[in-house]
Amino acid sequence: MSIIDMSKPKSDLPYGTLDLLVLKTLDTMGPLHGYSIARRIEQMSGNLKLSQGSIYPALMRLEQQGWISTKWGVSETNRKVKFYSLTRSGEKQLHIEVANWEQASSLVAKILGAKA
Amino acid sequence: MTLRRAVARLTALFRRNRLERELDDEVIAHLELAELDARERGLDPLEARREAMRRFGGIDQMKEIHRDDRSARWIENFVKDARYGLASLRREPMFSIVDGVLLTPMPFPHPERIVRVWEAPTPASSNSTTTRTFLEIKRQNQSFDAFSAESLSTATVLINGEPVRLDGRYVSWDHFAVFGLQPIIGRTFAPDEDRDGAGRVVIISHAAWQQHFGGDPGILGRDLLLDNEAHRVIGVLPPGAFDRHRARPLDQPASFWRLNSFTEAEIEAGSHWLNPVGRLKPGVTLAQAQDDLLGIRARIANQIPQWKKGWSVKVEPFDQLLVGDTLRQSIYVALGAVILVLLIACANITNLLLARSAGRAREIAVRSALGATRARIAAQLLVESLMLGALGGIAGVALAAVLIDVAAPLVPGMPFTAEISLNWRVLAFATSAVMLVSVLVGLLPAMKMSTRSAAAALNHASRGSSAATDRTRRVIVAVEVAVSVVLICGAALLFKSLVRLQNVDIGARIERVITMSIDLPWARYPDGNRLAAFYPVMIERLRAIPGVTDASFSGDLPLQGTGGENLNMPGRDERMLVGFKRADANYFSTMGMGMVAGRGFTAGDRAGSPYVTVINEALAARLRDRFGIHNPIGQGVDLPALGFGRNRRVTMTIVGVVRNERVGRDLREPVKETAYVPISQAPRMQVKLAVRTAGDATAAVPAIRAAVHQVDPMLALADIRTMEEIWERSLSGLTEPVWLIGIFAGVAALLAALGLYGVVAHAVTQQRREIGIRMALGARANDVLSLIVSHVLTTILAGLVVGLVAAVALTRVTRSLLFEVSALDPTAFAIGAAVMAAVGLIAALVPASRATRVDPTTALRSE
Repeated sequence: MSIIDMSKPKSDLPYGTLDLLVLKTLDTMGPLHGYSIARRIEQMSGNLKLSQGSIYPALMRLEQQGWISTKWGVSETNRKVKFYSLTRSGEKQLHIEVANWEQASSLVAKILGAKA
Repeated sequence: MTLRRAVARLTALFRRNRLERELDDEVIAHLELAELDARERGLDPLEARREAMRRFGGIDQMKEIHRDDRSARWIENFVKDARYGLASLRREPMFSIVDGVLLTPMPFPHPERIVRVWEAPTPASSNSTTTRTFLEIKRQNQSFDAFSAESLSTATVLINGEPVRLDGRYVSWDHFAVFGLQPIIGRTFAPDEDRDGAGRVVIISHAAWQQHFGGDPGILGRDLLLDNEAHRVIGVLPPGAFDRHRARPLDQPASFWRLNSFTEAEIEAGSHWLNPVGRLKPGVTLAQAQDDLLGIRARIANQIPQWKKGWSVKVEPFDQLLVGDTLRQSIYVALGAVILVLLIACANITNLLLARSAGRAREIAVRSALGATRARIAAQLLVESLMLGALGGIAGVALAAVLIDVAAPLVPGMPFTAEISLNWRVLAFATSAVMLVSVLVGLLPAMKMSTRSAAAALNHASRGSSAATDRTRRVIVAVEVAVSVVLICGAALLFKSLVRLQNVDIGARIERVITMSIDLPWARYPDGNRLAAFYPVMIERLRAIPGVTDASFSGDLPLQGTGGENLNMPGRDERMLVGFKRADANYFSTMGMGMVAGRGFTAGDRAGSPYVTVINEALAARLRDRFGIHNPIGQGVDLPALGFGRNRRVTMTIVGVVRNERVGRDLREPVKETAYVPISQAPRMQVKLAVRTAGDATAAVPAIRAAVHQVDPMLALADIRTMEEIWERSLSGLTEPVWLIGIFAGVAALLAALGLYGVVAHAVTQQRREIGIRMALGARANDVLSLIVSHVLTTILAGLVVGLVAAVALTRVTRSLLFEVSALDPTAFAIGAAVMAAVGLIAALVPASRATRVDPTTALRSE
């Protein structure tokens, strides 16, 4: 194994955004396993650089909050995997976060626009 | 963080293994799926796997984050590190923390307000006060809430038909208000109950109540016969109040308190016999009280005799009196030694941790490569040392719990307020000491380890410790050697001083002499004639006992101190304070004290015959130097004729000069100039009996008691001791520090030796390869040995030099503890250096000799 990069895992995403994207993905796509969630986010975000592994801590956080739930299923490779799905409180949280995000981004946009 | 998440994080603690396994499963599934995708995109299997790994990112970093986020990580870490610490402990030698004796404050409310008042002939000396001084201060002062005069009082009490002498105190009515004490049953003295000599009441100690009266609450209102005088018992003090209160180290604790009432004669007499204690009013400082008393003294100046005009008054905190200077010094010295030993122990542990850290460099490097932060690693190392410290601390406290019961009775002269026990204060002290020590011990290795670059460590790990770590360890060991040298030098100095003290000439022959105190009660011996008649009759009876070769009565025994009186040459008002001792015709022969000139006392020196005195050599020398008297025999000197009633000064003829006897308790002090007077001419109720025997002195006690009871069946024999015991006790407080420091020095040397051993052993292990090469190239065992030893030698030498310099710098501390030994005594220093050098070399030679047995081929192959 080559020398491991010791810095934090690479992510171009602002902190906390990943959680929102995961929630949104599950909302749109229904129950998915980890790899599909990672792939979906990658596809949607174009050339955004994301370590696929970084979704697992995010999934764990969301599960601990009770916003997503897990169920064991079988993958395409015939292996036991966790399928994640959005819970009711997760749906509510998604709405709140989306609203927050929109508010924040419109605010930022407004300020940036005013300056320009 | 939401509550739900917090709960989830806590429960994660207990599902750790399962969560880890699930995460592993997910990662594997993810990578398989990714690989599958990549192959579907046309990549070959190897490339597909690489692509999947690349896209996933650092697996172990992700896991670290996962772990950090998933649970209350610090708890998890703590538990894990604690396990680590425990595991390391099984491999590492343990150390224990020696806990110093903490003095608890006096068991009285607001102890800082309790003071002792003295009259001070010179600024450096203290004297008891006269009755008049006490009464005037009590009447006029603005400073005290309560002010009491204490003086010794003994009484013979019949207990189960046997006369027993109890020690007690004469006090003022508000004595217990000074100490803020309430009796557990009954009452204390009522205001002014001491007026008119009316108060025939007594308060007894809890210990006396339990011991002599079986704790019977019916004691209240009963009459206690003190020397055949009925005293109504009005109260019992709480346990521990004064149970260990001794005016002098050899005294019994006070059993009873009765009221002072002063006769006109006592007020006029002007003897200094009262020990006033007071409770300062709130907010009054020592200095204010002092000014107040000086003002009072100025107002009564016309009542003070001319020769005492220059005296002053002093106010001292009460606890200062309790914790004497010698004890205070001993405690500080012991504490200092404890700290030094503790430092050495710390240094050793630091060294061990450093050595181990070298071995663990690889483990630490791997952990940090896997994303453990620097702080996290440092924390782990600190927790390990805390665990080490905590276990050591627990062992230390357990040891202390055992030792304290063994040790406490061995420490004489402790103030009665010093409760020596493992209380919460000591435990808190021990705990903070453990914490401090652990952090100290762990800090250096932790810093060294966590700042080391992971890559470098991974590369170097196989080669063992770095040169920098080695240097640190050598410096630490050198410091250990230095500290040990300081302690060994101190121990050698103190030991030499003790030997000198033990060889001090007592002036008296102390073997085969048994002594005791007898109090002749006033009721049956109401005047000097009765007393004077008793002594010779009793002595004749005692000398008739087979095996008794001599017997004598005196006012005081050797080494137990004696009163002081002022002596002046007739017609000259120039007084000098001399020791004043009553002795009968047999005292000098019983004590084996030879006459230097003239004669001792005879049966003819009795009440009514001309006043005579015998002086010791020291006083003779003083008279010669001061007054030019070369032959003192026949010379008259003025001394008080002490007896019953008012004392007056008379001219006494010096009839003899006797060899110097050690009058005082402190062997370190010079011989006191002393005048002896015939006890018949200065009769006294409290007397000391000394009996010299042909055989074992203690075996004669029953016969002595029988003889005394034949003369007076109501007399109690108290303080029965051989002169040898009295001599041994005079060394008490002086021998203990020597053994204490000696033991500490031994421990320190041992620890330093361990440290040296560790460093050399480690170096030998690290250099096996080098040694192997050298030996393969033809080096002989001696070459290898000198290579290693020369390296250690510089460490030891550096330590010795620093240690000797430090020991010289510390002479200021040691000087005051030494008797007739220079604080810079060359033999002591030489011994200190030699012992440490020898111990250090032996410690180094053992592992070094192992190096010479290195087999070149195995050594070279092993890496």
